[in-house]
Parts: sequence; C-alpha cells; structure tokens
Amino acid sequence: MRWVRDARARRLRLIVSEKGARLTLPRSVSERAALAFLHEHRSWLADQLSRRPTASAEPLRRGVEPSLPLRGTDVPLHWREGRYARAELRDEGVVLQLPERASDAQLKSALRDFYTQQARQDLGTWLPRYLPGLPRAPLAFKLRPLSSLWGSLSPTDALSLDLSLVLGRPGAFEYVLVHELCHLIHANHSPRFWREVAARWPHWRDERSYLRGEGLSLKAQLARLIA
Amino acid sequence: MFFRNLTFFRFPASLAKAFAEIDARLEECRLKPVGPSELVTRGFVSPFGRDEPAMSHRVNDALWITLGGEERLLPAAVINDELGKRIEAMEEKEGRKLGGRARKRLKEDLVMELLPRAFVRPMRTNATLDLQHGFIAVDASSRKSAENLVSELRHAMGSFPALPLNAEVSARGVLTGWIAGEPLPPGLSLGDECELKDPIDGGAVVKCQRQELLCDEIRKHLESGKQVSKLALVLDDHVSFVLGEDLVVRKLKFLDGVVDQLEGTDRDGIHAELDARYALMAGELKRLFAVLEGALKFSPAEA
Repeated sequence: MRWVRDARARRLRLIVSEKGARLTLPRSVSERAALAFLHEHRSWLADQLSRRPTASAEPLRRGVEPSLPLRGTDVPLHWREGRYARAELRDEGVVLQLPERASDAQLKSALRDFYTQQARQDLGTWLPRYLPGLPRAPLAFKLRPLSSLWGSLSPTDALSLDLSLVLGRPGAFEYVLVHELCHLIHANHSPRFWREVAARWPHWRDERSYLRGEGLSLKAQLARLIA
Repeated sequence: MFFRNLTFFRFPASLAKAFAEIDARLEECRLKPVGPSELVTRGFVSPFGRDEPAMSHRVNDALWITLGGEERLLPAAVINDELGKRIEAMEEKEGRKLGGRARKRLKEDLVMELLPRAFVRPMRTNATLDLQHGFIAVDASSRKSAENLVSELRHAMGSFPALPLNAEVSARGVLTGWIAGEPLPPGLSLGDECELKDPIDGGAVVKCQRQELLCDEIRKHLESGKQVSKLALVLDDHVSFVLGEDLVVRKLKFLDGVVDQLEGTDRDGIHAELDARYALMAGELKRLFAVLEGALKFSPAEA
C-alpha cells in the first residue's frame, strides 16, 4: 500500500490500479483518521485487490506472440520481415513487419502507432453521427495511454482518450467518446449531463460497469505491449 | 496571396447553404482597431485588402475569408526594466521594501501607461473553404493560429462544426512506404526533401534537403528504424509542398507552369488579378485535397 500526502488533495482517496493500492491524504488529515478510513473500506479493498488482473508481466515474445487484443477480441498476429517497422490490419489478422535489426523500442512504437490508427479509424466512423447535436466540435483529439482516466475534455475543447479503449469492446469506447462529447454541452456530471448521455447511449451503465470490471486489465495489457 | 501553408479542418458539406449570407455575418465581426488600453483585437477583414467592401470572395464552391488582428507590442524586458527603476525609487523614498501587492499594482499601472505608446502589429490569416468537399484550409502552419481562425468563424456564424483532420491510416506509415519504394497515388511524385525520425522517445532525427530520396543512404536510415515525419511531394508538376505526419502542408509553392497561365490573362487592376489567382489556387487545392484524402483516408465529417 502506498501512502501519498498531496497538498492539492481535498479528501481521502483510496484507489486500486494495475500498480497496486494507493491512499491519497490531504494535508489536514491525521494518520489515525486515515487508518480508520482504511479499516472502514477494508472489504472493498480486498475485493478490488482480488479482482486485480494477475498481470502477465512477461514481455511481448518477439516473433512468437500469436495474437493481439483489439476491439474486445484476440486478432491473429503474423510476424514478417520488412524494410521498416509497421503493423497493419488485414483480412488474415494483424501483419507486423519488422526489419531484422529493429530494437524493442521500435517494435513498441510500431504497435503504439497501430493502436492509435485503429482508434482514429473508430473515431472517424463514430463522430459524424454525434456531431449534429453538439454546440461545437472538439478542437483536437489526443489518443495516448492515460493512467487513471478514460478520457477528458480540456477547457479549450481538446478531447483526450485513453488508448487502451481500443483494446476493449467497441461499445465501451464509443460510450467514453459520447460521455466526453456531452461535456461540450454540460461541463459537469449533473443529472442534466447524464440525460444527454442517456439520450445518445441508453445502455451507458453496462459500459461503465464493463470498464470498472475490465478496465484495469485493458490498461495493463496496453502497458505490456507498448510501454 | 498564394497560401504558403495549409492546416485542414473538415465540416459537413451539407452546411454549404449556411454560407449564403456569410458576408453579413463576417461584417458583424469586422476587425475593430485596437483601443489605446487594449492588448489585442481580432476580427474579419476583406481578403482584397484594407478598406475594401467585400468581406469574402467566392469562386464557384470556393470561399476565401481573411481573419485580421491587431496586437500591441509590449516586450516584457521593457516593462521589467522600467518597473525595476520605479520600485527602486519608491523603496528609497519610503525607506522600506515594497510588498507583493504594491509591486503588482505598480506593474499594472505601468502597463496601462505604456500600452497607448506601444506599436500596433497588424496580423492577417487567410483561409479557403471548399463547400463541395467540406474542408477549410487555413494558411497557417501552427495549430494554434489555425484553431483561432476556426473559432472566430464559429463565433461569427453561430455554429460551425469543424473537426481537425483525421486520417484513418497512419500518415507516418504511408509516407515511409512511399520512400521505401511503394507506389505513390496517381499525380503525386516525390520531391527532394524529407525528415526522418526514430519513432522512440528522444530518437534520432535526420533532415535532408536537395536529396534524391530513393537511394541507398535513405534506405539505410529506414533499415535502422527511422520513419518519415515530413516528406516533400509534387502534385501534377503544378504544386510542390512538404507534407508532415501531423497532416499539415508546409512550403506550398505553385510551380512556374501554373503561374505562367496567369501572365497571359488581361488584368484590370488588383481586384481582377487576385480573383484570377484565387480561382487558380482553389482549383489546385481541391485537387490536392482529393488526392491526399484518397491516400490517407480522411474521415468524412458527416454520416
């Protein structure tokens, strides 16, 4: 268990991520109060820790790895030799071409590029459907691994999404996109905001519980492939 | 007036009707001169230059607009130097150190005093909209100034759902493929400039100019893992440009053969000349966008 005292924290916060459990304390909270808080939530903590993915920390097996996670399924992976590093989705699966002397960093960068591209393709398909009901369009889209969030909308309307969403089921990814887009209408999580989400994505609760259940494992899988 | 850079955004082509009264909308947001104590103003101006009545220029499906701006130049060094002197004088007079709040007030007063004397720098950013394909190309290579123009246009029109360009295939992969010997789309040919980057964090960068791109040296770089981040291309021998992996077109240049066409035409004044030049450019940009759209699979802005 990691204890972190954070001057900006407003309340006690206990989170479980792929790195383990972490307790954040505001400056004013005593150690005793924190221990009481932990005690109160011990069953939740035990439950979360037991559900935590037993991270297959073994690195990507180069030339051997048979498949890649993508959109909720495992897609066959074909390793080829090529003049430059590139991963492409074709009918037979993902074709990953690598020069003979390519380093692991280049392999990971090719995979990151591949996932970013797949995510961009999904965005391109989904966005036009939601655009007409919005007051304005997002100014930019950023796709990168986020540590605890799934997405965010900046005050300048730049939309960030977690790259690991593209590994999970597409419905969850689309829900996160819809959620962030609805922040263009209401920049909060008020009932009015959730009404806008429900109007566009009626089964958002299913997707949210999917992300709460599978989310950590998605983030861990992405970290294993590209970090 | 030929654009030098292009930053693209897409909007639904069904929006074309909304541009029927664009002049009136832009007129409402015309550039106002910067006031004596104002730092910056933005607003639309006529593409034809100062004091012209037309707020936009339309040739068939293409619409040309210009965002103007005035900015007061007040270098931080000037303020800090003068502020230092004043603080020193004040401290000597009062015999004590000045507090943070007093310093801040002194600085604010100083800025208000200097602003009316500061130079005014005028700015202009051009953009062209293609109402048939639904794209806007801003003559800017920086994301920020391009976004500025789009948000001013959104403000003027009330609603303007423009999306940044989204390529459904990896631009870096496609550009790398082209100099690794894969066929280019019809009409495009390689120029003589490129930037290669090792895609890992802090990776090596190689920039070449006036360099034959299909050669052993470049191939060695590709084999060691570098990928193309910028590539010079030529379209139909008409325009040359450098395309970046960020999908921004830089160093756009209309080649002699195209500009020569303009020489022969009769010109009645600057207005007619600009009209001819714009018509020519809009046509080339339409073709350029169509070619890039096919090669990089740009996402459409409507379902």
